[in-house]
Amino acid sequence: MNKAIEDIQKESLEEIDNAKDLKELDSITVKYTGKKGFITSFSKNLSNLPSEERPAAGKKVNEVRTAFESALAEKIVSIKREIEEADTGIDVSLPGVRPAQGALHPVTIITREICSIFSSMGFNIAEGPEVETDYYNFEALNFPHNHPAREMQDTYYVSENILLRTHTSPMQARVMEKEKPPLKYIVPGKVYRCDSDITHTPMFHQVEGLMVDENISFGDLKGVLTSFIHQIFDEDTSLRFRPSFFPFTEPSAEVDIRCVICRGKGCRVCSQTGWLEILGSGMVHPGVFEYAGYDTEVITGFAFGMGVERIAMLKYGIDDIRKYYENDIRFLGQF
Amino acid sequence: MKVSLNWLKEYAPINKDITELSDSLTMAGLEIETVESRFEYLNEVIVAKVNSAKKHPDADKLSVCEVDTGEKVIQVVCGAPNVRDGLTVALALPGTILPTTEGKPLKKGKIRGEKSEGMICSAIELQIGVDADGIIELDTNLTIGDTLLKALSLEDYTLEIGLTPNRPDCLGLIGVAREIAAMENTSVKFPEVKDLAASGDINEHVSVTIEDPELCPRYTAALILDAKVADSPFWLQDRLLSVGLTPINNIVDITNFVMMETGQPLHAFDLDHLEESRIVVKRANEGDKFTTLDDKERTLSSETLMICDGKKPVAVGGVMGGQNSEIGDNTTKVLLESAYFSPTSIRKTAKKLNLGTDATHRFERGVDPEGTLFALKRAAALIAELTGGKLVSGVIDENPIKHKRTELNLSMMQTNRALGLKLSIEEIKKHLESVEFEVSIKDEDTLFVIAPGFRVDVSRPVDLMEEVARLEGYDKIPVTHPVAPSVSALPPKVTFYRDKIKDMLLGLGMTEAINYSFIGDNNADLLMLPENDDRRKMLGILNPLTEDQGVMRTSVIPGLLQNMKHNNANQNKTLKLFEFGNIFISNGQNQQPTETEMLAGVITGGTKDPVWYQKEDSVSFYDAKGIVEELLERLKIENVTYTSLSVDECLYTRKGYSAKIISGNKEIGLIGKVKTEVKENFDLKQDAFIFELSYENLLSAVPESLNTYPLPIYPSVTRDITMIVEKDVEAGDILKEFKGFKEKLFESVRVSDLYEGDNIEEGYKSLSFRLTYRSENTTLKDKKVNKIHTNMSKRIIEKFNAKLP
Ligand SMILES: [Zn+2]
Repeated sequence: MNKAIEDIQKESLEEIDNAKDLKELDSITVKYTGKKGFITSFSKNLSNLPSEERPAAGKKVNEVRTAFESALAEKIVSIKREIEEADTGIDVSLPGVRPAQGALHPVTIITREICSIFSSMGFNIAEGPEVETDYYNFEALNFPHNHPAREMQDTYYVSENILLRTHTSPMQARVMEKEKPPLKYIVPGKVYRCDSDITHTPMFHQVEGLMVDENISFGDLKGVLTSFIHQIFDEDTSLRFRPSFFPFTEPSAEVDIRCVICRGKGCRVCSQTGWLEILGSGMVHPGVFEYAGYDTEVITGFAFGMGVERIAMLKYGIDDIRKYYENDIRFLGQF
Repeated sequence: MKVSLNWLKEYAPINKDITELSDSLTMAGLEIETVESRFEYLNEVIVAKVNSAKKHPDADKLSVCEVDTGEKVIQVVCGAPNVRDGLTVALALPGTILPTTEGKPLKKGKIRGEKSEGMICSAIELQIGVDADGIIELDTNLTIGDTLLKALSLEDYTLEIGLTPNRPDCLGLIGVAREIAAMENTSVKFPEVKDLAASGDINEHVSVTIEDPELCPRYTAALILDAKVADSPFWLQDRLLSVGLTPINNIVDITNFVMMETGQPLHAFDLDHLEESRIVVKRANEGDKFTTLDDKERTLSSETLMICDGKKPVAVGGVMGGQNSEIGDNTTKVLLESAYFSPTSIRKTAKKLNLGTDATHRFERGVDPEGTLFALKRAAALIAELTGGKLVSGVIDENPIKHKRTELNLSMMQTNRALGLKLSIEEIKKHLESVEFEVSIKDEDTLFVIAPGFRVDVSRPVDLMEEVARLEGYDKIPVTHPVAPSVSALPPKVTFYRDKIKDMLLGLGMTEAINYSFIGDNNADLLMLPENDDRRKMLGILNPLTEDQGVMRTSVIPGLLQNMKHNNANQNKTLKLFEFGNIFISNGQNQQPTETEMLAGVITGGTKDPVWYQKEDSVSFYDAKGIVEELLERLKIENVTYTSLSVDECLYTRKGYSAKIISGNKEIGLIGKVKTEVKENFDLKQDAFIFELSYENLLSAVPESLNTYPLPIYPSVTRDITMIVEKDVEAGDILKEFKGFKEKLFESVRVSDLYEGDNIEEGYKSLSFRLTYRSENTTLKDKKVNKIHTNMSKRIIEKFNAKLP
């Protein structure tokens, strides 16, 4: 009996040694340690042995099994290594498995950029209704009835006193009606003007800003807007403030930046002027403060407003503003 | 407002070149939008010499000329009677665009069989004179081959000023010149009114009565007799052409010329057409009809101010004259009107009649109430001079309401504080005086300022501060920084979560769309909304640009479906779009609507873009639902259930493929497959799945704070159960039942398989669930788990009348 187990040991180790692949090793495993394998059978038959032989035989069969299993394990490792050596790999040039990722609308991207710049300067964000009353959109902003200033904006009317807001400025009046200075707000949102061509869409987005406190000066307005423009474009962007007119600010200033397309030499985008209008601004008109019940002797402030699409057009070099609202994924996917 | 450089030079010395001038005007608040070189086309016209002119063989009135261009000799056919050998002429070469050729370039061609390689021009064709009878005869000393621009040293620029509505004083060239003069530290030079011999007395010829002084505070008139209507002299035509006006006849041209010069609109009547030789200024009767100069019959209202004669209206005051008193070829008695009308009245009338003119543009912004008489006298003298007429002595000046100049106190300290400047009181005074404010120093901080009449925009001290800032130069104001708080502001919840949700959707493969807030009013029908649906309460826009932008949207879905159509048409079949935006439910046209922010999405096409390793698979209801589920879970919204929409509740989504989303007891929105009819209504070919959520309700379901739980220490044990239930039993109900079990060791349950078909009886389906069990304080024993699992399974099987496979 002992002899037999020694033969089994010798043969099994030889077979393992000669095995060529994992499949062969599988059948060797079955042959020796499977349910009806030689080593298994030998173990099962131990009980048939005389009791005095059993301990030695048991010990022997365990040795054989351990030797078999460790030889097998070693062989598996070496065969696997050979397989790995022989493997030439995959075609890494095939495209990867990509989890789908969407894109944000460029208007959202730029609005966020604007808001985060002003948030870091301590401005709070507020939002307001898009269908407004004549009072908040015009009257409280010092636009008299029957005044040509109302023509500066092509207004969509719903009825005599209800309209689609032409700017985000009504929130100036709404905020000041509710709160007392100091105030620092920006108001992003949709605005509407009945005008449509390559540079105008009947709906577009603005970000309005308002800072009201004691002793706010025109110099502060220049300071805040200069930092903003240097952040949203770049530090080298030169800008100029030039006199303009808005009924709700005085003095009013249009802010121009050096044309980002031609760097000031003059091109189609800047109508050969070398400058691009980027935002409107000014010191809050005392008439507006009066509507809010503020003391105009003490309180001063400034307000500004900018078109988001225009900034996006300049930053991304988009030439047709109407593209923003077709929602063509070939366009949206570029941002 | 257009001005020309040469004309401006009449009123102010200009030493700057055109670029410097336009820059400094822009920086003074008169934005120069365009600068056009007026005679640019004369660069294409050259000085040439007619070597010979012979009769055209086939046309009596034409000549065939040999013309020396300096480079070569070419043949030109010319129809002018004065063309002859040796003449120095202006020759336009092929390609030239002349002001009189309506934008078309000249071409080489054949005239009656003779080739013609250019055009010999008349003065009028070149807009350098009025002679139309023959070609221009140039000085023989000019160099052949030079451009006409160089040879005649003609140079002028037309500047277009984008005037803001607060500066009507610059609607006349003198006003613009005043700004230039201020920059040059000089003062504006007024044109001279010639002191012509006059006779008689105007009061013997005509009278003026103002019946409504509120609407017409001042009316002045002058009279010229024996005038002869004719074309204007060249200098006058040239002035008008230089600012884009068309010459008509000497009298009309003078009124336009003086209006451009002073900003005061004028009107000329033919006195012979005024009955009873008098002018009455009064309101029209409601509903009266009147034919204006442009040949249109207008219906008047009682708010319209009319200029009438003894019997009838002859002009809409300050707006447009009438046909019945128009200056004609045979007019000899010219009654000239210069008046000041109420700006609001003019604006109302212009709006009501939908009639904007150069006159209304000025009157509604406010002309100089003190400039009325100057403009009248200036124009009357010019008319007498240029028409050979006789000026009648005196003027009529009815002025029932006198203009009162604005008087203001201006504090130096407040001015400096508001502007961030440190100007002395003298410097402020000097700035204001440079644009003709009368200024005196009241005390060390206060200036007493009287505004000139033409500055109708000045009514408060802040208006003066703006003048100071503008004249000092905005660029001279130092940049300062307001004291900033040490913390940056946090966005409000509504903004914060909107941004967060957008980012999550981005990660879930969705792209953001933004659509117009207005849509066509047929969209309620396209969406098949029932008659009583709130979304039929659409807010109409009175003046939409197009019909399909006629109402405010009451749903975000139509926009997204249109986007889907657009993208599908451009070969993008696979699409996942979402949009955040307001919808507007009307509360009646005279009130603000209820604005509700919605979050909606549409998905269509493949689950992902086609790839090499996997067959394309179409999106299903569960892809849309999965996006919503993932979003809500990431927002930590709990107790969310999705229940099937009843047939009645399915409006634009298909029955059996639609679910409402409920959190707690609040309905947040819906998910569904777009109904076939709706798909057809929007011209869609592919299946589409939408979700639509109320952002407000979604936000209110977001928990205020985030609860975390400790990670489990002991391993979990899972058990499966498969059961066969009737087909209409919802898996969601079974899950809900499981989750309702108050069994401490039961942790979670999920659907692991759904099977219908072979081996399953018709009308039934096989559902498998995987349950997870875990204890907080020990490793669970199989025996214990089996007991709980069997017990729970039994209760489910009974409840849903299920069978084991
Ligand atoms: Zn440019």
